Amino acid sequence: MISRRALELATAVLTGSFGVAVVVSSLDNGIGWSSAGVDAGTFPFLTGVIIVVGSLYNLVRGVLPVATLANVPIAITPTELRRLAGLFVPAAIFIAAIPLAGMYLASALYVFAVLAIPRHQSVPRALAFAAATALALYVVFERMFQVSLPHGALAAALGF
Amino acid sequence: MDNLGELLHGFTIAVTMPHLLLMAVGVLLGILVGVLPGLGAPNGVSLLLPLTFGMQPVSAIILLSSMYWGALFGGSVTSILFNIPGEPSSVATTFDGYPMARDGRPTTALATAFGSAAFGALIGVILITFLASWVAQVALAFGPPEYFAVYFLAFASFVGMGGAAPIKTVVALAIGFAIAAIGIDTVSGSVRLTMGIDELVKGVNFVVAVMGLFGIGELLVAVEEEFHARAVSSRIDWGEVFRAVARLPRHGVALLRSAAIGCWMGITPGGPTAASFMSYGIARRFSRRGRYFGTGEVEGIISPETADHAAGTSALLPMLSLGIPGSATAAVMMGGLMIWGLNPGPMLFVDQKDFVWGLIASMYVGNIVAVALVLLTVPVFAALMRIPFVIIAPLIVIICVVGAYSVSNSYLDVVMMLGFGIVGYLFKKLFYPLAPLVLAIVIGDKAEDAFRQSMLMSKGSLGIFFANKLVTCLIVAGIALLLLPLALQLARLRRKPEPPSGETTAQERAQEKVII
Repeated sequence: MISRRALELATAVLTGSFGVAVVVSSLDNGIGWSSAGVDAGTFPFLTGVIIVVGSLYNLVRGVLPVATLANVPIAITPTELRRLAGLFVPAAIFIAAIPLAGMYLASALYVFAVLAIPRHQSVPRALAFAAATALALYVVFERMFQVSLPHGALAAALGF
Repeated sequence: MDNLGELLHGFTIAVTMPHLLLMAVGVLLGILVGVLPGLGAPNGVSLLLPLTFGMQPVSAIILLSSMYWGALFGGSVTSILFNIPGEPSSVATTFDGYPMARDGRPTTALATAFGSAAFGALIGVILITFLASWVAQVALAFGPPEYFAVYFLAFASFVGMGGAAPIKTVVALAIGFAIAAIGIDTVSGSVRLTMGIDELVKGVNFVVAVMGLFGIGELLVAVEEEFHARAVSSRIDWGEVFRAVARLPRHGVALLRSAAIGCWMGITPGGPTAASFMSYGIARRFSRRGRYFGTGEVEGIISPETADHAAGTSALLPMLSLGIPGSATAAVMMGGLMIWGLNPGPMLFVDQKDFVWGLIASMYVGNIVAVALVLLTVPVFAALMRIPFVIIAPLIVIICVVGAYSVSNSYLDVVMMLGFGIVGYLFKKLFYPLAPLVLAIVIGDKAEDAFRQSMLMSKGSLGIFFANKLVTCLIVAGIALLLLPLALQLARLRRKPEPPSGETTAQERAQEKVII
């Protein structure tokens, strides 16, 4: 279970650290006024400062027991968290597998895994869906629009 | 009547067989993404974008804008038949649309929604026809300070009128600006904010951000709640369609008022979602039958639908004539314009007459095509809703992955897309608005260039933003909009010294949920 407050805090910390990174990084480009006009780092520096200040404000609002926040003490229930993970984890594994297995194989495996492993579909039907997905990708991108999708290190090793 | 002549010329471009076909394809794809939860107009349009690179710009924009109309209509179909808004902007349609459909009048609800939507869109297009070239003419005289002032006004109106928490809007905007700054700086040529990753020199493409923020993010929000698509009958009774449309003029006041709200919210970047809620709220207050709202009132459908489409359409006006998109989807389209080699802004009306007037004419035709197609295909798309979400979700993930990759054949883009997905989920969950974020990514560079050019002109003095009447007015209006939330808060505190009790109605909570 994740509370609304924890989620607000985490997001504010996330945006705030991005802001700090922007500020630090823009200092390399120089801020302020030089002979060539406004320095390249000035604008990002200002936006970084705004992000940091805004995040701090959101952080404080997240900590304070404000009435509107008290209405929603729970942002994500355990069931919802399980559903989220059920979508996100396979998707992340799918993306991680692309460099090795290539887009076609990875997406076919992904479709097969999410349909067959939680037993949403029978194995033959899941196989059919997986094959159809890879084939549709191939026809639409490689053939119709001439966009080459990654074939993967595995295919390269096998000589495709 | 110069404009009418140009418009007629536009029709000769829009009403050709290939373009009509493109409109039909665009509308159908649009209805598809509108109906599917997790896919909406912004990422639908950005998915199609890579496929338009080889097209003529006018054909490409007709395809994309038709998809936009289709998505607006598709969102209403699921709102009315399933009580599941397919698009954030059609949430307000569920309040009265679904009860009416449940009471055994689905055709009346759908026909009323489509009829008033078409009216809203028509008003929006007429506004564009007569106002866009005039605005562009005024804007031709703009220099960098004026441009920066207009950008500033656009961003400020998100903060002042967007409906989300003001500081969250500011943070979202600033993050968008920072992302836009990543890569090579166009003025000095130096590399910025790559944080040690060499591949980031090319910058972050907005399509990647949109895929993640709207595609993966929305999917993660949608998967949390299990869908129970309990549909009411989706059979269409054609006689009732015409009777329902014929009854619309009786609600002329509601139609005109909603169209006016929609146009206003579309031009100032409030967006269709805020427009439909505002229109619904105002209709409930002013209608004689206001207390019956929520039980299937006709005006409860007319008001949000008219405003939604009027806003969606008129959001293209500032995009065309100033180069400032009025909604997230318009921002994506504008990104497309730049990729096709066009320069969005007033020069379009001088250099690219065929493009501009072809697009405007196609809006008239496209909306007619959309109404006809959506009525014909309601049963098909309603059946689509019965496909289990577990099958649709992985397909949407694959579409987003492939879409992000195909922008510039880069694996890093796919990984970033997933990262944007997490950000999109968190932002949606916590009511950070996404539209200003996308807008800032698309036009952040231009706003920065305008600012730096102004500074060069004035040798570093901010006084240039108060140098003439026009620029002063724009800047002052922008500052006023920025301070508006603060002023409202102070006024509320003075009236009610105790902190608010935290009582919100179900509708207000629904509204907070969807403002993006």
